[in-house]
Amino acid sequence: MAANDVPLDDKAKRMRDLLSSFYSPDPSMSSSSPKLASLDSINTASFDANQYMNLLVQKSNLEVLLKRHVEMAAEIKNLDTDLQMLVYENYNKFISATDTIKRMKSNIVGMETNMEQLLEKITSVQSRSDGVNTSLFEKREHIEKLHRTRNLLRKVQFIYDLPARLGKCIKSEAYADAVKFYTGAMPIFRTYGDSSFQDCKRASEEAMQTIIRNLQGKLFSDSESIQSRAEAAVLLKQLDFPVDSLKVKLLEKLEQSLADLELKIEKLEPAGEDSSNLYQGGSLVDNHEDSVREFSEAVRAYLVIFPDSKNQLISLSRDLLSRHFEALQQYVHERISSADLVNILKIIWTDVLLLDNVLEEAGLPVVSLEAAQVVVKKYISSKFSIFQQDISDSLVGPKERVEEYTLQVALETGKKTVLQGSMDALLDFRLLLDDKLEPVVNLRDLIIDYVQEGFQGFFRTLYDCFVLLSEKKSASEQGLKEMAQSDKALTGLVLVLSQISVFIEQGAIPRITEEIASSFSGGGARGYEYGPAFVPGEICRRFRSAGDKFINLYIKMRTQRISVILRKRFMTPNWIKHKEPRDVHMFVDLLLRELEAAGSEVKQILPQGIRKHRHSDSNGSTASSRSNPLRDDRLGRSNTSRARSQLLETHLAKLFKQKVEIFTKVEYTQESVVSTIVKLSLKSLQEFVRLQTFNRSGFQQIQLDIQFLRLPLKEISEDEAAVDFLLDEVIVAASERCLDPIPLEPPILDKLIQAKLAKG
Amino acid sequence: MQGASSGIGYGLKYQARCISDVSADTDHTSFLTGTLSLKEENEVHLIRLSSGGTELICEGLFSHPNEIWDLRSCPFDQRIFSSVYSSGESFGAAVWQIPELYGQLNSPQLEKIASLDSHEGKINCVIWWPSGKQDKLISIDQEKILLWNIDCSKKIAQVQSQESTGMLHYLSGGAWDPHDVNALAATCESSVQFWDLRTMKKTNSIECTHVHDLEYDTKKNHILVTAEDESGIHIWDLRMPRVPMQELPGHAHWTWTVRCNPQYDGLILSAGTDSTVNLWLSSSSGDGMVESPTRRSNPLLNTYSDYEDSVYSVAWSSREPWIFASLSYDGRVVVESVKSYLSRK
Repeated sequence: MAANDVPLDDKAKRMRDLLSSFYSPDPSMSSSSPKLASLDSINTASFDANQYMNLLVQKSNLEVLLKRHVEMAAEIKNLDTDLQMLVYENYNKFISATDTIKRMKSNIVGMETNMEQLLEKITSVQSRSDGVNTSLFEKREHIEKLHRTRNLLRKVQFIYDLPARLGKCIKSEAYADAVKFYTGAMPIFRTYGDSSFQDCKRASEEAMQTIIRNLQGKLFSDSESIQSRAEAAVLLKQLDFPVDSLKVKLLEKLEQSLADLELKIEKLEPAGEDSSNLYQGGSLVDNHEDSVREFSEAVRAYLVIFPDSKNQLISLSRDLLSRHFEALQQYVHERISSADLVNILKIIWTDVLLLDNVLEEAGLPVVSLEAAQVVVKKYISSKFSIFQQDISDSLVGPKERVEEYTLQVALETGKKTVLQGSMDALLDFRLLLDDKLEPVVNLRDLIIDYVQEGFQGFFRTLYDCFVLLSEKKSASEQGLKEMAQSDKALTGLVLVLSQISVFIEQGAIPRITEEIASSFSGGGARGYEYGPAFVPGEICRRFRSAGDKFINLYIKMRTQRISVILRKRFMTPNWIKHKEPRDVHMFVDLLLRELEAAGSEVKQILPQGIRKHRHSDSNGSTASSRSNPLRDDRLGRSNTSRARSQLLETHLAKLFKQKVEIFTKVEYTQESVVSTIVKLSLKSLQEFVRLQTFNRSGFQQIQLDIQFLRLPLKEISEDEAAVDFLLDEVIVAASERCLDPIPLEPPILDKLIQAKLAKG
Repeated sequence: MQGASSGIGYGLKYQARCISDVSADTDHTSFLTGTLSLKEENEVHLIRLSSGGTELICEGLFSHPNEIWDLRSCPFDQRIFSSVYSSGESFGAAVWQIPELYGQLNSPQLEKIASLDSHEGKINCVIWWPSGKQDKLISIDQEKILLWNIDCSKKIAQVQSQESTGMLHYLSGGAWDPHDVNALAATCESSVQFWDLRTMKKTNSIECTHVHDLEYDTKKNHILVTAEDESGIHIWDLRMPRVPMQELPGHAHWTWTVRCNPQYDGLILSAGTDSTVNLWLSSSSGDGMVESPTRRSNPLLNTYSDYEDSVYSVAWSSREPWIFASLSYDGRVVVESVKSYLSRK
C-alpha cells in the first residue's frame, strides 16, 4: 500500500513542480526545491546519476535492482505523458488568445466616426447656452437689485413698526419676542439711530424700558414661578442689564430673611422650655419650618436663575447653620434638658435636610454634624458645671438663714443633690443616646465618651471645688473680724464636705459606675490605649483621701480654736506671781463650750460608733506615767532631794506602764472625732503648761481647773484612759514647772468645784 | 523603749529642751546640750560621737547656774556657746567658754565671757551668725531685738543697736540669714517679720500664725522653712512671700522645730510634740507646684518614733551631715544616721 501511495504522491508533486517551473522564471523559487539533497533522492537539481547508480548497485542485490529498474521505467513513461499533456494545454491557451485579439480588431473599426459626430453636437450646445446667458443677464441683475431693495424696505418697515410691536408684546407679556425684536434691531439703531430712526429708536427704547421694568418686577416678585423668573433673568442679561447688581440685591434680601429665621429660633426656645406652652411651641416650630422651606425654595430658585451664585448661596446657608448653632450654644449654657436639646437639634436637622436637598455642594450635613458634636460636648460640660454649682449651693446653703440651715440638712441635701443630680444627668444623657435623630445617632460613641469623660472631670473639679470651699473658709478664718459669725458655718461645712466625700466614694460612685456600665458602655472613639474615660477607682481614691483630709481639717480647725483659748489663758497671766485659787478659771467654760459645739456639729453629721477602749492602729504614742494621778502625799514631799528620785520614778513608771495611745487614726464616728479633738487639746494644754513656771498658787489653780475638767471630758470623750492620762500629764507638767508644788487639799478642791458647779 | 532602734542613745539626768551641734569642732562629731530643771543643779553636756560611730561619749560635764531654755554653740570657736536661762522668775542670757579640759570630768566651772543683760522680759534666744566668724550676736526677747558687739578674747559684749517691736507683737524666736549678714527673720504671734540689721527696721513680713521655729536654707538663698502649731511645715521662697512654695503635713500635734540639712538639698528634719522626729525631702526645685498631687511621691522619708516624750530640739551634724541628734523632753539624746535615705534622692 505504502509502495502504491508514494509514487502517486510523487506524481502529483512532480506535476505541480513542473507547471510552476514553467510559469515561474526562477526555478529556485519553486516550493519543491529540495532542501535536503540526499544522494538517493532523484528529484533534486544536484542529482548525480552516476553516484546514484553506484550507491544503488552497492546497496542492493540483483532482485532489488531489477525491481528498481521496472519502477524507474514506469516512472519515466509517466513523466513523458505528463509532459505531453502540458504542452497540449499550453497550446490550447495560445489558440484562444489569438481568437480574442482577432475579435477586438474587428469591433474597433466603426468607432472613429461616431466620436466625431459627438464632438460636433457638443460644441453647438455650448454656443446656444452662451447666447441665452448673455440675453438674460441684464434682467437677472435687475431682479436681484429689486429683491435687495425689498428686503431693505422690509427691514425699515420692521423698525418703524418696532415700537408698536413692542407695545403689543408688552400687552401680551411676550417679553421674549420683544427682546428678540429689539436685539435684532439693535445694530441698525446703533448705526442710524442718531439720524433717520431717531424717533423710532426713542420710542422703542421707551418700550424697552417698560419691558426691563416689568422683567425686574417679575424677577423680584416671589409669586412668579421660578421658570418665568429665570427667563426674566436671562432676558435681562440679554439686554445687557447689570444682572450682577440684581443678584447682589436678591442675595441681600435672602440674607435679611436669614436674620428673620434666626430670630424665630430664639423666639422658639423659651416656648420649648416651657412644657405647658407646647402647642404654641409646636406652631412656632411649624412656622420656622415653613420659613426655612421658603428659604430653601428661594435658594433653589437663585441657583437656577444665577448659576454662578452657588458659592454665595453655600456660604449663606452655612451662615444660617452656624447662626443656628451659635444660638444653640448660647442656649446650652442655660438649664435645659436633653429633650430640649434634641428638639432644637431636630429642627436644625430638618432645616439641614431641606437645604441639603437644594444645595448638596454645601455639605451641610457634615458641617452640622461637626457643629452638633461641639454643641453636645458643650451641653454635657455645661450640664456638669451647672450640676456642680448646684452641689456647692446646696452645701453652702442659703446665706440669710444660717441658723435654720442645720448641718444635717446641708448634708442630706448635699447627698441628695449629688446622687439625684448625677442620676438625673445620666437619665438625661441616656435620652440623648436613645434619640433616633441622625446626627445624634452618629455621635453615639462620642457622646458616651463625653459623658464618661464628663463624669471623670466633674468629680475631679468637684474635689477641687471642695478643697477650694474648705480653703476659702479657713482663709477667711484668719481674718479675725467675722470669725464668730462665719466660723460656725465653716467648721460645719468642712465636716459636711468630709461626709459627702465619704458618701461619694461609697454610695454615689458605685451607683454611677453601675449606671454607666449599663447604658454608657462602649464608646471607644478614643483609642483603647487610653483606657475607659471614666475610672471610678481613681475617683474613689481621691474622695477617700478627701474624706480623711476634711475630717482632719475639721479637727485641726476645732483644735486651733481651742488653742487660741488656751494660749490666751497661759500666755497672759504672770504665773510666778499667781494669787491663790478662789474659783475654777473661766477658760474651762470656754473650752467646754467649744467641745460641746464640736460635739453638736459632729452629732448631726457623723454616725455613732461602737464604743471602743483602745485603737489598734496608732501612729504615735506616749507612755502613761502613772495609772493614778500624783498622790497628794507624793506631791507633798516637794523638797529638792526628792525631786530627782521622782523623775527617776517617772521614767521607771513609764517603763512598766501600758501604753496609752494619743494620736490614733480618726474614724468617721462621733466619738472618734470628738475624743481626737479632746486629746489634741489636752496635749496642747500640757505643752502650754510646760512653757511656764508656776508658783504654788499657779500650780494649784491648774490642779483645780484640771480636776474640774476631768468629769465632763470623760463624758465627752470615748477614750477615758487617754483623757485620764493626759490630764495627769498636765498636772505632772505643772508640778515639774512649779517652784513649790504643794497641791490643794482635797476638801478645798471639792469645795471650789462644787461652788463652780452650783454656779454653772 | 520598744521596737528596733538604730539610734545611739544618751541620757541626761533631767528634762531638757535644747541641743546644738558643735560646728566649730572639725575633728569630732559633737553636740552640746543643757538641762532644764527648776529645782536641780543644771548641767551642760558636751557629747562626742565615738570614732566608730557606735557610742556617745560624754566629753565634758559642766554645771550651769540655771535651767537652760536655749543653747547655741559658737560657729567659729568650739569652746564658746551661748545660753538663755531662767531662774523661774527672771530670764538671763550669757556667752560661756568651756574651760580647757585636762582629762578630768569633775564638773569644772564654765567661764562666763559675757552676760547679755539688757533684757527685761522673757528672752527667747541668742543667735550666732551661722556662716562663719562674725563679732556680732543677736538676742531676742519678747519685745526687743538686740544686736551685740562681742569680743571673746576681751570678754566684752556691748549692745550695738536695739529695736523694740511694740507691745502688740510678742516675739518668740528668730533666724539669721546665712546668706546675708544683715537680714534677720523673727517670729511673732501672727507673722514672720524680716529685719534689716543695719537700719534696725522691719522690711517685710509673712502672715502665718504661731510659728514655733524657722530656719533659712543654708544651701539656697531666699528659702525659709517654718514650723507652725497646726499647719505643719511651710517652705517659703522669700522672693514670692505671698504663698508658701511647699507645704508639708508636719506632725500629729505641734511641729516644734525644723532643721535643714547643711549639705543635702531639700532634706529637712522636723520634731514635734507628738514624740516623733520626721525626715522630709522637699521638692524645693520649684516645679513641685505644677506637679499633680497624685504623682508626687511622698515627701516623708521616715518617722522616728522611738521617743517617750515631746521632742523639742534636733540638730544636724555639720561635720557628718547624714547624722543628726535629737533630744526629747525626758532628757534622752538619740543620734541617728539618715544615710540609708540619701540614696533615694
